[in-house]
Amino acid sequence: MSARQAEAGAPVRAAPRREITPGAALPLLGFLLLAALFPFLPLGSRAEFLLQIAFFTLVAGIMALSWDILARSGQVSLAHAAFYGLGAYGYALLLKAGLPWLLAMPVAALLAGGVSLILGAVTMRLSGMYFAIATLAFTEVVRTIIQNLPESVAGGATGLLVPALLGGNSRAQYALAWGLLAFTVLVSLAVRLTRLHFAFAAIRQGEETARVLGVSIVRFKLLAFFISSSLAALAGVLYAGKTFFINPLETFSLANSIAPLTTSIFGGLYTTLGPVLGATVLRVAEELLHNSVKDGYLVVYGLVLMLSILWLPRGLMGLRRNRKHGGDL
Amino acid sequence: MKTLLMTGVLLALSGAGAVKVGVLLPLSGAGSVSGQAAKNGYQLALDEINRAGGVLGKPLELEFADDGSAPAKAVPEFVKLVTVEKVDFMAGGVSSATSIAVSGPAKQYGTFMAWIGAAAVPVEDAFADHPYFFHYHPWSYYNFEAILGYFKYLKTYKKAKTIAIAYEDGPFGSAGIDATVDAFRKAGFNVVMTEKFKTGSGNFGPLVSKAKAAKPDILYWVGYDTDALPLATEIKQQNLQLGLLYGTPPSWPVGFEKNSLSDNVAGLSLWLSTSPNKDSRTFVAAYKKKYGTVTDEYFAPLAYVNLKTLAAAINRAGTTDKAKVAAEMAKTNVSTPFGQLTFSPSLKTKYQGFKAGNWLHFQYLGDARVPVFPIKFAQKPMVYGK
Repeated sequence: MSARQAEAGAPVRAAPRREITPGAALPLLGFLLLAALFPFLPLGSRAEFLLQIAFFTLVAGIMALSWDILARSGQVSLAHAAFYGLGAYGYALLLKAGLPWLLAMPVAALLAGGVSLILGAVTMRLSGMYFAIATLAFTEVVRTIIQNLPESVAGGATGLLVPALLGGNSRAQYALAWGLLAFTVLVSLAVRLTRLHFAFAAIRQGEETARVLGVSIVRFKLLAFFISSSLAALAGVLYAGKTFFINPLETFSLANSIAPLTTSIFGGLYTTLGPVLGATVLRVAEELLHNSVKDGYLVVYGLVLMLSILWLPRGLMGLRRNRKHGGDL
Repeated sequence: MKTLLMTGVLLALSGAGAVKVGVLLPLSGAGSVSGQAAKNGYQLALDEINRAGGVLGKPLELEFADDGSAPAKAVPEFVKLVTVEKVDFMAGGVSSATSIAVSGPAKQYGTFMAWIGAAAVPVEDAFADHPYFFHYHPWSYYNFEAILGYFKYLKTYKKAKTIAIAYEDGPFGSAGIDATVDAFRKAGFNVVMTEKFKTGSGNFGPLVSKAKAAKPDILYWVGYDTDALPLATEIKQQNLQLGLLYGTPPSWPVGFEKNSLSDNVAGLSLWLSTSPNKDSRTFVAAYKKKYGTVTDEYFAPLAYVNLKTLAAAINRAGTTDKAKVAAEMAKTNVSTPFGQLTFSPSLKTKYQGFKAGNWLHFQYLGDARVPVFPIKFAQKPMVYGK
């Protein structure tokens, strides 16, 4: 069965593995391998600086890919900042409560996932613009709640100091971020290569059709929400542990909801490599522009982004899709 | 002219060993107005320092980096300045969040930091154990200390007894609001209203109605510049009788002083371009000569003072050795546009520059911001409405 048939609502039972050729996995594996080797590259005096850039690129990659997983089920969410922030705050508060960081991290992610089920259930009947507005409002609700918790608990509007992740060792922090990105990639592949892919695609194409095909809309939409928001929360944990400080205004900023959306579109929607590649290319482009166009680089960056989206409606992955390599991962 | 030229040539010849100062500022994003103002102040100071022979007989060089008002950008930029550009000292810093974010690498590399902004208390916690952290801007509790000092004066001399508080619901307005109320009460004031508002909403009708019923002597407003005009308009429309409308926005609306609604509105500033202080007048003249305009952003003179005092400390130390420069910097005792600058411990950090006594309270009087308190700096008597 082709991906096109699946998107048109073919039976969920079909085995998707057959359409993915080994060649399709090579770029993804190559990317992960390169990212793993990055700290060991001979980058001279720029090594430490580039490692910092790379760290935040990995965080952006996790955010974008986690957002894409939800988008595969047709839910264009603007609540990613909420789950990113819940991960950051959950982690900080669990550390404050005495949990070791290794336990605080997954618990914070699961808590954010749990909260996402509430949002998912409430917005179940919404779609398109209405769904997006509801998720945007949800972010504001979460931000307001966190901000109005007693200052002794969550730092109020001022914010909260967070202990440095892994003692502030930048290489160890990078390794952890890489590990979490690799985990996110594995989750994304698991979604792509199992029946979930067809269920999500069927819901995206039309809920009525999916229902006729026997797809449990509620179950799969909530599952997409849970997976996506738990992964976004892990990105929030990385951010909090790296910057030592979180406050409601910045952590729940709309920019944290918009960036994964634009990154995924730029890289290529509904793929695993696309959002990760998009995050990398955008970060590198931003840094190059920052260094070459000192004043107003953000204007040039914005123009590049706009033109790319206009000329590459399928994102960077659209460049690959014409090749005969089977399905995209 | 010849001397200047010779100095320039000599400095250029010795350029290989230039002393480098990295400057991390928000040149884009939310804090860019303050960041750009600070950049102007740094460049003015740099010109003067290099015209006077540079530092240690070498030219002083500045490496600017844009933190984008975001911690995720500030960390790589800070590390780049320290490890790639290999700057000898770091200056700048406006936002609290970005400053905390760079505290990790700052401690890792033992970076000397002459920091101008970042007033939030968590920054003080983050740098409490950093031996080379010189902080110029007063911590936020000094701001409030200055406000409370002024209100106590109004209580004693103008019989002000009641305060109504209007604060925006974001971090700027909401942070420490409970402590603020407690402090006013402890100082003997009756807090008759505490009302939250959405900044930028422009709808102050219900809030002012509530204030009118509470009949406060002082309306203490904590919000942004966008709220100033709507609030003043509503007060006028509802004829709310106040002793004083006192606000603390980070900046005031452009041209607000020309609007009659601004009459008698009071506020807080670390510096005013109209300040009669001799150093301030010198700075304003130099700034106008270089940029052709006068700034009201206090981050410009703050950055100027920051670089001048750092350069002086390096010259006195006779080396770029951090410990020796820190020892000299600690002895700083100079007059500045803000008043005298010395470094002494704050609640948690070792080297704090300006404190509560450096804040000026002003009123919009006759189309200008005029210092009215402390009394020794007052250019006109304050206007109290009751």
